[in-house]
Amino acid sequence: MKPKFLFPYWTRYLGWVLVFAHIPVMMIGKYYGLDDHHSNSDALFNNGHLLFIGTALLMAIGLFLVAFSRERIEDEQIAQLRLDSLRWAVFINYIVLIICLIFFNDTHHILLMNLWVPLLFFIIRFQWMLFRNNRLIKKDGQL
Amino acid sequence: MKNTIRVERAIKNITQAELADLIGVSRQTINTIESNRYVPSTVLALKIARVFGKPVEEIFILEQED
Repeated sequence: MKPKFLFPYWTRYLGWVLVFAHIPVMMIGKYYGLDDHHSNSDALFNNGHLLFIGTALLMAIGLFLVAFSRERIEDEQIAQLRLDSLRWAVFINYIVLIICLIFFNDTHHILLMNLWVPLLFFIIRFQWMLFRNNRLIKKDGQL
Repeated sequence: MKNTIRVERAIKNITQAELADLIGVSRQTINTIESNRYVPSTVLALKIARVFGKPVEEIFILEQED
């Protein structure tokens, strides 16, 4: 019953650190003009590629760690909630993606956003459901 | 499906948290089962029944619409 492929509980903190760490990296990158998309070089690990790893990918890894870290008590109800949230996130993501692709012509950036938007939807929905359950427990009092 | 966990807990005089500890799940899980927001697996239902010393059918009861 227990899900096997989850990161330890503490990785959520590492995840959030990575998510927020991408902001200074991006600012430094922009300051030094590393985000030069017009450079002709397609070489691996050129400045643009390194900056991408340091920003968008760093954020994606962070969100990935946050999304798939274990809860304090990992039981079947949490597993169900996780699965449910995941289905919900993918569903919403595709609806938003399809609408965006129809009404906006910036395909490159929309698809780039898709690198982390599903994870974000998942985290928001999953944490919201946990929060709501905890609030209902409080409402119940010490029954 | 409805259940009589709340009543059984009152008889046994244990809290949701204590029941959760006894069967190794979170308190959230017990709360969601009691308020009919989550249907437990067979394993969990059997564990709950064992705590109360009753058959599963006495704790979890099918309803007309099930």
